[in-house]
Amino acid sequence: MSRLNERFKKLYKIGLVITFAIFLFFLFYDIHNLDSDGKRYLSEHYISEGVQETGATNLVASVLYDYRAFDTLGEATVILTAATILAFLVPITKATMFGTTFKSIVNQTITLIIPFLAVLGAYLLLFGHLSPGGGFVGGVVLSVIPILLTITYSVDFSEYIFKPAQKKLVENIGAIGFVLLGLLGVFTGSNFLASGQAPFGTGSAGEVFSAGLIPYLNLMIGLKVGAGLAIIFNSLIKEK
Amino acid sequence: MEIPYVVVIILFCLGMYTIITKKNLIKIVIGFTIVESSLILLLMLVGYKPDGTAPILDKGYEIVVDPIPQALALTTIVIGGSVTAVMLAVVIKIHKRYRTLNIDEIRKLRG
Repeated sequence: MSRLNERFKKLYKIGLVITFAIFLFFLFYDIHNLDSDGKRYLSEHYISEGVQETGATNLVASVLYDYRAFDTLGEATVILTAATILAFLVPITKATMFGTTFKSIVNQTITLIIPFLAVLGAYLLLFGHLSPGGGFVGGVVLSVIPILLTITYSVDFSEYIFKPAQKKLVENIGAIGFVLLGLLGVFTGSNFLASGQAPFGTGSAGEVFSAGLIPYLNLMIGLKVGAGLAIIFNSLIKEK
Repeated sequence: MEIPYVVVIILFCLGMYTIITKKNLIKIVIGFTIVESSLILLLMLVGYKPDGTAPILDKGYEIVVDPIPQALALTTIVIGGSVTAVMLAVVIKIHKRYRTLNIDEIRKLRG
C-alpha cells in the first residue's frame, strides 16, 4: 500500500511538471508571435544613437554603465552582500585543505599560466568599452588567480600571497570608488552616475581614454568582482 | 515556434523536477542553477535577430542584435552566482549542524 502511495506521489510530481511545461509552451508561443511584428524603439535608439551619446563602441557596456548604471550599482551591492554573508555564515578558525597533492608538473604549469591570466584580466578590464569584455568578465578572470593558487598549492599559501584583509580592502575600494565616480556626475552639475550627459564629455569613440566614466567604472567593478569572488571561494573551501 | 524555445522549456522543467523530487540538498542547488541557465538562454533568444552581429559597433554593421537582453543576462549570471554561493554556505551550515544532507532526516531532527 505504501509503495503504491510512493509511486502515486512520483507520478503526481511528474504530471505537475509536464502540465507546467505545456503552460510554458503556450506562453512562449504567444510571446514569439507577438515579438515578430513588434518594433523595439528602445533598442533601435540604443543601436543608432548609442555610440554618439556614450562614446563606447561596446553597446552592452554603454547600457550597463551609462543608461542603466544604477542597475549595475545594485548588482555590485548583491556581490558585496554575498561575500559578507559568506564571511559571516562560515566562520573559520583554521584553514586546512584535505589531502590533495599534485605532481610538480601541475604546479609549474600553474605558475607559468598565472602571468598570462593577469594580463588577460587587465586587458578585459581596460578595453571593456571597446571590445568584448568588461568589468565583470575581467574581474572573474582576475579572481581565477587566487582560486588556482588555492587549488594547486593550499589555502595557506594562497592567503599568504593575497591576504584576506587585503582582498576585503580591494573590494571596499571598488564599492566606494563606484559611488564616488557616480558623485562626480553630481558635482559637475548633472545626474548621479551620468557619463554621457555630463559636461566632461565623451571623447572620440574608439580610443582607450574615451567614453566618459565607463573605463573607470569598469575598473572599479572589476576590482570588486575579482576580490569578492576570491573571498567567496576561499570561504567556501575552508573548514575547521 | 523555434526549437531553442523548446530547449528552454525542457531545461526549465528539468530543473523544476530536480528541485521538487530530489532529497539531497546539493542536488536541489544544482536544480536551481539549471533553471537559471535556461532563463539566460531565454534572454539570449529574445534579443536575437537573424544574421545579426554582436552589439560592438567598431564598423558600420547592418543588423545588430538587441543589446538590452545581453546586459540583463550579465545581471542574471552575476546574481545567480552570488545566490548559489549563499545557498551552498547555508548547506554547509546545515551539514555541520545535522550531519546529513537528506531533507527528510533534517525534517525529523527538528527541535
